Amino acid sequence: MTGKTIVITSGKGGVGKTTTTANIGAGLAMRGHSVVVIDTDIGLRNLDVIMGLENRIVYDLVNVIEGKCRIRQAMIQDKQGLELYLIPAAQTRDKDSIEPAQLRELCAELEQDYDYVLIDCPAGIERGFKNATAAAQEAIIVTTPEVASIRDADRVVGLLEASELHRPRLIINRISADMVRRGDMMSQKDVESLLAIEVIGLVPADERTISAANRGVPVVHDGRSTAGAAFHRIAARIDGEEVPMVDIAPRPGMFNKLRDMVSMKGRAYSHA
Amino acid sequence: MVVSESPSITASESSGTRGASNRRAVTITGRGSDISFIIDEDAPISKVARELSKQLSERQGALFSEGGVSVNTGRRSLTAREKAAIRKVFEENSGLKVSRFVSTIGDYVIESEEYPEEPSRHYPWRFLTRRSTSSRDELDHTFTDLARGSGRNHTQAMLIQSTFRSGESIHHYGDVVVLGDVNPGSEIKADGDIVVMGTIKGLPHAGASGDSKAAIIALEIASPRIRIGNCEASIGASGNDKRGRMRRKDAGVRQPSIAYTRRGAIYVSPFAGRSARYTKGVLYDG
Repeated sequence: MTGKTIVITSGKGGVGKTTTTANIGAGLAMRGHSVVVIDTDIGLRNLDVIMGLENRIVYDLVNVIEGKCRIRQAMIQDKQGLELYLIPAAQTRDKDSIEPAQLRELCAELEQDYDYVLIDCPAGIERGFKNATAAAQEAIIVTTPEVASIRDADRVVGLLEASELHRPRLIINRISADMVRRGDMMSQKDVESLLAIEVIGLVPADERTISAANRGVPVVHDGRSTAGAAFHRIAARIDGEEVPMVDIAPRPGMFNKLRDMVSMKGRAYSHA
Repeated sequence: MVVSESPSITASESSGTRGASNRRAVTITGRGSDISFIIDEDAPISKVARELSKQLSERQGALFSEGGVSVNTGRRSLTAREKAAIRKVFEENSGLKVSRFVSTIGDYVIESEEYPEEPSRHYPWRFLTRRSTSSRDELDHTFTDLARGSGRNHTQAMLIQSTFRSGESIHHYGDVVVLGDVNPGSEIKADGDIVVMGTIKGLPHAGASGDSKAAIIALEIASPRIRIGNCEASIGASGNDKRGRMRRKDAGVRQPSIAYTRRGAIYVSPFAGRSARYTKGVLYDG
């Protein structure tokens, strides 16, 4: 069995990389895959908290890389009993504790036994980013529909393409349907035309995401959450399934629908 | 393409060749047995060759590298003839062999391509601008000379086949063609024209070596600041709208435009061919 390593990155902090990693990880595991999620935000670990596994940490990523323990010893199984494992980051070390090549080696080993290896990338484009992206074959960029976040995402797309991670895919997080409808927020199409990369998912702003993270249960487990449903669709798309995009902010009226159909025609993406 | 730390090359924004005279034209760095030579991107090639031969003969025997040395040309790309000249300097003054030429774009080091000497037949508009006159000794050509007058037909267009993104920056001695948008936070300096098959929102500088006949052509020009030759125009305090898009008088009008200089100011007109006479342009101030 050979799996796939996917890095989840954004450039800007606070756009929801960690939440996205936890939810896609759980989403893929719920589809019957075996998944390992790795937190590479050494010194500022969060993924364990969002997955509710903070209390079970014994060994961490740096321990594994330094050979202080076996990989299996650092892997913590998900609370819900899914085939989902977390390798937490070390909280008392820093990004320089690991080398890009070492993480690549670790992921290559995990790919032998698991379907998906997801890497939660730290914010920024320095050492931590280089560590995380060096190990991946695919990249998913998370952005919110805000100018600052999109600017950083644009920079990250450039960096990824330069490091041979072509065709990164985009998740637009925290879309507020009301604001888009009022014209106060960039729509999916605005973001898409600015970044010119494939969109793999739209996640609506949903208060349940926050309360789920506080409880340590990713929102995909919440059947009533719109964000949870969005993460299920994203997991399916990563899995290679064709799932049509759901319009987060549908505008009423036949005329708008027609106009959208016409303007969507002939849209082309530029990939390196 | 190889990611690596970008070497400490100072990018002089507008000073061009004049400001570069005090800097060292050649810097030698070594990491283990790898020796690399960093060439100042603004220094004339003749000065580089002079300084290189001086430094090499001073250190005769002290420099040793089995696999050959690499030459970093900063943000400029050398022609095959200039590369040959540099190779010759190495051969004559030391036992070193140049294994590769690399140039830097933003954070990336790009293994440079060989640029053919002959003008390409694929760029018909070249012939509409100016014909080549005489050619002097190549070594004495600075890049300013190359773009001006004699070398104009030698310049090759650099084709960027994807969106040019934030943080990317390039300085090319010829024309630059981008098949996509030029996003905010990026910089394109070209000694020739800049042609963008999309929207320019970054900072373009056409005719960067002082050629005010250069032009910027794009499907939409929406940069906060554009430069052609020694002219500069900027959009005043227009700001962005609530969805983060630039607020402009002609907002929403997306048409192929050309920016050019006239009497020391930059004008924009709807594009009507590179060699058309433009008289009804509007001042570029947003």
